[in-house]
Order: sequence, then structure tokens, then C-alpha cells
Amino acid sequence: MDKISVENLTFSYDKEKNAVEDVSFSIAEGSYTTIVGHNGSGKSTIAKLLIGLLDKDQGHIYIDNQELDYDSVYDIRDKVGIVFQNPDNQFIGATVADDIAFGLENHQIKSEKMQSIIEKFANKVGMIKYLDSEPTKLSGGQKQRVAIAGVLAMTPEIIIFDESTSMLDPQGKADINELIQEIHKESNITIISITHDIEEVSKSDYVIVMDRGHVVMRGKPDEILLKEKELVKLQLDIPFALKFTNALKKENIDIKSCTTLERVVEEVCQLRLKM
Amino acid sequence: MPITFKNVEHTYNNGTPFEYVALKNISLQIPEGKVTAIIGETGSGKTTLVQHLNALLLPTQGELEILDKKIIATEKPTDLKALRKQVGLVFQFPEYQLFEETIAKDIAFGPKNFGASEEEALTIVKEIMPVVGLDESYMEKSPFDLSGGQKRRVAIAGILAMNPNVLVLDEPTAGLDPQGAKDMMDLFVRTNKEFHKTVLIVTHDMEHVLNYCDEVIVVKNGEIKKQCQVQEFFESLELLEELRINPPAIIRLREELIKVGFHIDSSILSIDELAKTVAKEVKHHE
Repeated sequence: MDKISVENLTFSYDKEKNAVEDVSFSIAEGSYTTIVGHNGSGKSTIAKLLIGLLDKDQGHIYIDNQELDYDSVYDIRDKVGIVFQNPDNQFIGATVADDIAFGLENHQIKSEKMQSIIEKFANKVGMIKYLDSEPTKLSGGQKQRVAIAGVLAMTPEIIIFDESTSMLDPQGKADINELIQEIHKESNITIISITHDIEEVSKSDYVIVMDRGHVVMRGKPDEILLKEKELVKLQLDIPFALKFTNALKKENIDIKSCTTLERVVEEVCQLRLKM
Repeated sequence: MPITFKNVEHTYNNGTPFEYVALKNISLQIPEGKVTAIIGETGSGKTTLVQHLNALLLPTQGELEILDKKIIATEKPTDLKALRKQVGLVFQFPEYQLFEETIAKDIAFGPKNFGASEEEALTIVKEIMPVVGLDESYMEKSPFDLSGGQKRRVAIAGILAMNPNVLVLDEPTAGLDPQGAKDMMDLFVRTNKEFHKTVLIVTHDMEHVLNYCDEVIVVKNGEIKKQCQVQEFFESLELLEELRINPPAIIRLREELIKVGFHIDSSILSIDELAKTVAKEVKHHE
């Protein structure tokens, strides 16, 4: 079933140039979709349209077959959580625990229940030791983990990650990506992740590629990531694995193009056996 | 004159219940005229460290020498303005600090603050804009109408406009798309090679460390864990593992191939060399 369906969506910030133009796509329930595209391609605008932070000019957005409009926006926001890029813009609490509690308080969760919920999700993002810390004492990456915990605590049906790992250190990034994978496997939450990280893309179910407000490619990561010429033209990274299989081809080795390192190692081993 | 830290300690909120020691007894020399990467986990003290370089933060203990300026924890520093002109510090997400009506005015703000006349500032702006890849047509535009990557170029141009000898960048490519990040790194290497600036880059991106930097400083729990050449850094995998650093893709692939029995020298750090070695071994089996 389609969790999200977007039809002919158009939006302009200045009424001159469309930031998003005639965009259509659908996202299956419980799937993990990545959206890629260079800076300014309209990815974040789509995220903001999906949760009703921006109001579309034309087209339709359906969540669970319910159209997102003035009347339904609050119901729909209960279902959709978003984690932004810069954690400083979304940290509101005086301490980590307060920040995670903010959404729960808005939803009038009883305080005796709250503590265990806060601990559960602080633990999940590796911030349990910092429950009483002030935000000023946390680094950007740590604040981001708190933001993710706050969203998870609301048990949303859809979570949008808007470049949420771009400020984390490699380990933090790996942890959060793992966390996303875990949420994806353990729950039926539909995940949309806006990212530049090709490795994350290769692990998702579905990719949407954007350029200048349009959806220019969509499909499974394996198909999309092999479209080298298109990716380069769109100023996107090509997978390291593909660069390496290309380099091997230059050495007159007949190898299949690969998008992940695991595949490269498998292919190279098979070649060695065959020869 | 290199940059020298001698037993530097920095404690935030000293004497309060929120007291936090961010840097512990740091002694360090940063070479001049090189591109040095500063790496370490989130919260390890990298940002605190670099904010000492233009005396934005002062050591709570120890002393440092930056170019010819000495800063001693126990003494009240004087004339920091000269130091701040020589050491340009670009914060994380510098585009949030743009504030002027036009791009030209924003870039000119620094030079004018340091005493340049309107005319001199304008000349500098015209010199600097092409360096960061913006042509003159942008001069009178509002910086707020630009994309994130372009805004960041304007912010960096504002620092370059002061013509600092040392350029310090705190995670300058965070949040940029791959092409934007590459352009940015090329720009820093150019300021180093062509204009002979000492460049320090706080980064989490090991691909950038490998491809653009000369030296690495590793910060861990407020201490210097390691300082060495980039080549040496990526040869010792134990250290990378200990530091929980995910190595660049080339090294991960190299190690995986070694595991399945390929004979590959651990000094190989380029994709073409690795491909040549693997190709040779595959053909050898024929």
C-alpha cells in the first residue's frame, strides 16, 4: 500500500521560479526511501511540503489516502516526524531529558510514563548518560541524536530525515544509519531520508533523484547507482565500488560493474577462480 | 613561525557546577605552509582547540604561541586584533553569519573593520570573489537569495578578504553536496599552494583527509592522540580501529582484498594502483 502519494506537486518561494515543479512519486508503507540531488535541487522543499510546513501551489499530497490540506494538517503531523539538518535549530529543552520530553508534553503523556519513554529513546540513540546535560555542553552530533530521540518518542508512522547525519562524525553517522536500519527492520515506520551519502543510498529500498525541482530518476539503488553518466551530470557522487570496477576495466579485466564493496570483493574472487 | 601549544588546558564554566574540561594539557606544534586535518569524534575537543588559534577562546592553563603572538593563561592578553587579522577562522555553517544587504558589502565587512577604505575594500572584494567561484554579477545581489553552497562561499570569501596567513576551517564541507564539497576542498588546497596559507581543517571526512591534507592531528577526549603525515596515518590500521574511524573506501577495499588472499602492499592509497595490482594478480592466475 502507498503510505505517501504525491501528484503533480508544484511550489515556488518567490512566485518566479518553481523550487519544486510537477513532482509525482509514491512511497510504499514501511519502506526506506532516499532522496538525493545537489544543493538547491528541491529535496528539502519536498520534505517541508510533506509535513505541511510549506503550502503547495499546485498538486496533491496524500498520506494514507488522506489529502494533506488546511483541515488535515494537524492529524497528519501526528503521523509524520522530521529530523532536520542543523540540531541547533531544533533543540528547545533546558536539558536532554527536557528536550526529548517536549513532544510528549505536547501530547499530554502522563509524567509517570514519560520518564521511561525518555530513557528508552535516550538509550537508543546513545545519550542516556547525558539526560541532565544542557544543550550548550553538547556537540552538534550529540544534539542531533537527541533530536532523533525526540522524534522517535512520538512513535510516528513516517520519519523524514533531512540530511540529519551530515553533521555527525563518521562513527556517529554509522550509528545513526544503523539506527535508521534498525527502525526500518523492527517497525513498520516509513522512512524518507534526504542524503548525499551514497553508502546510505545503496542500503535503501528505493531512490528518488532530484534536479532543479524535478524528479529525474527513481528506482532501486542498484539500478540508479550504475547510471554513471547521469549521476556525474547531476553533480552527484558515484559509488567508490563503481569507480574501482571502472579502473579494473581499464586494466582489461572483464568485470561486472558493482555498487557496493562487498560485491566488488565477490566479483574479483570469482574472476581469480575462473582464470 | 609555527603555531605552538604548551600544556594548554581549557575548562568551560570554570568554577560552576557545569564545569567541563574540554582540553587537557595539550602540547603541539602545527607546521606552517601545510594543510593539516584535525580529526576526532564529536565532542572530542576539536572545535575548542581551533577556537584558541585566534584567541576566541583563551587557555585556562598553559600558553600558546601563534605566529609571533604569545598568549599565556595567567596574563591578560593585549592587542588581539592583529592576531585575529592574521588567523581567519571559519565557523561551522558560516552561512548563518551572513547579514549584509549585498554580497559585496558582506565580504567587505572584515577588511573595513581592519581599517580598509571603501575603495580598498571594493578592490579586495573584486579580487576575492573569483577565487571562491563567484563572478562580479553577484556583487549587488542579496546573500540570502543564494543556495547553501553559494552562501558558504560568500562567508569564506569574507574571511579570505582579510588576507589571513592562517586559515582555520571548522567542518567546512558539512552539509554540502559532493560536488560542492569537492570545489570547497580544491579552494582550500589552492589557497595553500598558490597563496601559501597555512590551512587547518576540522573534518570528519576521511576521504578529504586522504586526498587533500598533508598532516593529521587526532584529538581524543580533549587530548592529542596522534600527529603524523597522512600517508603514515592511513598505513596503520590498528590506530584507525582504536579511534573507531571508518577508513576511506580505498583502504576498506584494500583490506578486504588482502583478507581474501590478494597480495597488496599496505602503502597503496590510490584507486589506479590498487586496480593495477589486482589486475596483475587476476591475470597471473590465467
